[in-house]
Amino acid sequence: MMEYHQEHLVRMANQIAGGVPSREDVAGQVSHHMQQFWTPEMLKELSEIAVNTPDCIDAEVHAALAAL
Amino acid sequence: MNMVQQFDPAQLDLSQDYGTPAMNAEVEVTVHINGMPVTVPEGTSVMRAAAIAGANIPKLCATDSVEAFGSCRLCLVEIEGRNGTPASCTTPCQDGMSVKTQTPRLDKLRKGVMELYISDHPLDCLTCPANGDCELQDMAGAVGLRDVRYGTDGENHLDGVKDESNPYFTFDTSKCIVCSRCVRACSEVQGTFALTIAGRGFGSRVSPSEQQPFLESECVSCGACVQACPTATLQEKSVIELGVPSRKVKTTCAYCGVGCSFVAELRGDEVVRMVPDKQGGANAGHSCVKGRFAWGYAQHQDRITTPMVRESIDAAWQEVSWEEAIRFAADRFNAIKASHGVDAIGGITSSRCTNEEVYVVQKMVRAAFGTNNVDTCARVCHSPTGYGLKQTFGTSAGTQDFASVQHADAIMVIGANPTDAHPVFASRMKRRLRQGADLIVIDPRSIDLVRSPHVSAEHHLQLLPGTNVAVLNAVSHVIASEGLIDEAFVAERCDRASFKAWEDFIRLPENSPEALEAVTGVPAMSVRAAARAFATAGNGAIYYGLGVTEHSQGSTMVMAMANLAMATGNIGRLGVGVNPLRGQNNVQGSCDMGSFPHEFVGYRHVSDDTVREQFSQIWGVTLREEPGMRIPNMLDSAVSGRFKGLYIQGEDIAQSDPNTQHVAAALTAMDCVIVQDLFLNETAQFAHVFLPGTSFLEKDGTFTNAERRINRVRPVMTSRTGRSEWEATCALSEAMGYPMPYDSAAEIMDEIAELTPTFAGVSFDLLDRLGSVQWPCNDQAPTGTPIMHKDRFVRGEGQFMTTPYVPTDERSTRKFPLLLTTGRILSQYNVGAQTRRTDNVVWHSEDLLDIHEADAEARGVKDGDWVEIASRAGETRMRVRISDDIPAGVVYTTFHHPVSGTNVITTDNSDWATNCPEYKVTAVQIRPVSEPALA
Repeated sequence: MMEYHQEHLVRMANQIAGGVPSREDVAGQVSHHMQQFWTPEMLKELSEIAVNTPDCIDAEVHAALAAL
Repeated sequence: MNMVQQFDPAQLDLSQDYGTPAMNAEVEVTVHINGMPVTVPEGTSVMRAAAIAGANIPKLCATDSVEAFGSCRLCLVEIEGRNGTPASCTTPCQDGMSVKTQTPRLDKLRKGVMELYISDHPLDCLTCPANGDCELQDMAGAVGLRDVRYGTDGENHLDGVKDESNPYFTFDTSKCIVCSRCVRACSEVQGTFALTIAGRGFGSRVSPSEQQPFLESECVSCGACVQACPTATLQEKSVIELGVPSRKVKTTCAYCGVGCSFVAELRGDEVVRMVPDKQGGANAGHSCVKGRFAWGYAQHQDRITTPMVRESIDAAWQEVSWEEAIRFAADRFNAIKASHGVDAIGGITSSRCTNEEVYVVQKMVRAAFGTNNVDTCARVCHSPTGYGLKQTFGTSAGTQDFASVQHADAIMVIGANPTDAHPVFASRMKRRLRQGADLIVIDPRSIDLVRSPHVSAEHHLQLLPGTNVAVLNAVSHVIASEGLIDEAFVAERCDRASFKAWEDFIRLPENSPEALEAVTGVPAMSVRAAARAFATAGNGAIYYGLGVTEHSQGSTMVMAMANLAMATGNIGRLGVGVNPLRGQNNVQGSCDMGSFPHEFVGYRHVSDDTVREQFSQIWGVTLREEPGMRIPNMLDSAVSGRFKGLYIQGEDIAQSDPNTQHVAAALTAMDCVIVQDLFLNETAQFAHVFLPGTSFLEKDGTFTNAERRINRVRPVMTSRTGRSEWEATCALSEAMGYPMPYDSAAEIMDEIAELTPTFAGVSFDLLDRLGSVQWPCNDQAPTGTPIMHKDRFVRGEGQFMTTPYVPTDERSTRKFPLLLTTGRILSQYNVGAQTRRTDNVVWHSEDLLDIHEADAEARGVKDGDWVEIASRAGETRMRVRISDDIPAGVVYTTFHHPVSGTNVITTDNSDWATNCPEYKVTAVQIRPVSEPALA
């Protein structure tokens, strides 16, 4: 069971994957966006969520996290 | 031989009234005024030429803010070779013309005219509120009137009834000379057409609407009529109460992002009235009801002027000295840092504060707190503007000055309601629309501009909330598929590869108006017509507001507008551009000043080693290279128990941010909340330290408006708190171990200029000399930059971005079948902290829910009934107003009163790129209730 802030983090990440302008290299764009605007703590927490509850995170986000 | 006096606009004293407006003609003519040669632009009136020559001609119905009227017959002149004595205000100069402004014949005629005026005017000069500030009085003196032969027994208007209905000014018809200046100001300057002359001949009288009291008329209380009135007929109540002002200070309004310049007129330390400055670059002598009249909050009894602290939010506030409050706050924050680390604290800057005040807060957070956890209230309004325009054009700012709209041929207004939210700019825009520019409105609501006196939208794309991107994609699809792209502009100015990708995308059948009609609710034919009108008009200008940004695709929509402007070649000259209408007075400035957690001053990323090193050197501290948390991240982190302390400068997040239950939970969870504000706002309920703020009348600094114009804010009166806000911030920073020893706000601006290439030329001295400048202001543009991206984009080539439409998660359902959207009303401002504490409440004492008749009927709701509005986030109650301004399926309300709790029901959906909340789309249901408040 995720906490509210974790659900929010997941929603933000998935939304970025759906919102980035180009459908080419979505993972790269998500990765770049997160590096530009997310704190290291947020990235760390999302990475942990990706390991513990991978199904809630879109494939492009998983790929973006792997590329970080 | 007399020297020719050349017309030089830069040399004119604009505080003088030249009688008729300036002309812009390139051809010049030379006339002789009483033998003195004067050269002026063709079309200039004889009256204006004479005034430039220093020969002021007596006048009553003329003033240079409105066109000449020629009714008072006081400004008569003699022109060599012409019969009669024409009115100088309506007579244009012709080359070689020789004019006499003072002759025995003219003296006699003028005296006769004045006799007639005075014979029907109360002779109460000594007790009249305009005594010493009355043009009728001045003209009687100017023409040498010594007696009135007609007596006072004849028919007259001296028993006229005074209209006191407006809270800010009186209309004393007994003093009216029917010069029509007020009527023309209402029409030409404001563009409302609320005033007229009723009756004929001797019975002619000024009439609000159809002889209604001002308060019940269509008057919007902008005060242009009061300013234009040459007598005490229309007079500020504050002048009647306090007397004629004795000193003046130029400053800048602290309401919306138009940033009007004002002359504060005072007696001692007491403001008597605020008069819009004719030299104001943003407003050119005009104002709205808020700026001109609603400044009383600064003196309101609710102001807190003494610092206060308390151990917990359950305890009572204790008044303490500044030193004690600063020590208390510093100890709390240092303790949090020691226990939980530097990232457990942060700050929020305010778009209501000056650039200098904002700068020191973000500097304190980065240097004294040691974190990049700083954000600003622009997060909840125009953060998508910053993101979208930086991606496409290279910088986070609108492209034009306000005056540019006078050159637009097609004006596209998207998600903005300028007549209510940016009224002074709306007046400029309406002037251009009356001259014939096409208007395209893209908005779910039928805003005033869609149909108002002498203005109507040729195209109103009344889309469903949440479908902005789909509509704009459809517009661009038409332009791309019908050969309307400005190929030359794109080839010369834009990145070719990105354009090709965008063109391929936008031409896809799924982006056609026909394909998107079912999604947007806008007929395809209407979209096609609007697209063609915009692309073929000549100069196409886009103006937009929060109806663009406060969506889950806010940033995408900003990029879609930038794409449209580039594709049609509408960037880089007068009359075009992409122009955000910023909500608060200093949104632009607070963003410029490094308030975002990922950027230093001037929009430079914290990870840029060169930039960070420059700041580190000047500030003398090592700075973090990773972005900090945004407001929603800070609040989330607080709820999870990791974020413990927040400094909030002039923002009421407990009322203004979405999902207020979540905000309250986050604030409650913190160990120390510091609120710096004028009033104990809703957020202060959760605070441990209250640092009293200063009103704009006490501030010394600068605001930057929506057109990037940096205006001086000058202290009109001494601070009621005993110190400036920036001094309080610096004191806290020093108490936390990082001194910021500035001696003045000017010194802070000097540091900003030193660190910011776009501000490199800015100083208080420059602003005092020029009045204002628009950034970039540096060696390349020493007097500023009214229009950006003229020859090249800031980023080099313009970058097209593909903008796929992604529907918001917030959709109407069986449980929540209506879509709520929110907005602002003319008389009130944001959460109402200022305007609710003024007489503006007479126009809007409560927030109402606008609902279409069909939706109301289906729920058994009548006009004025109480309803409960429920969303998946919460419930609130308010009364309904049946309105045909909105389509069925959509409801609308404002958020000016805390009791309404509008943001109790808005959700935590937000823009994908910036987390700007999606205030404009909330799925709701309503049901009738009998109780006004929730149990």
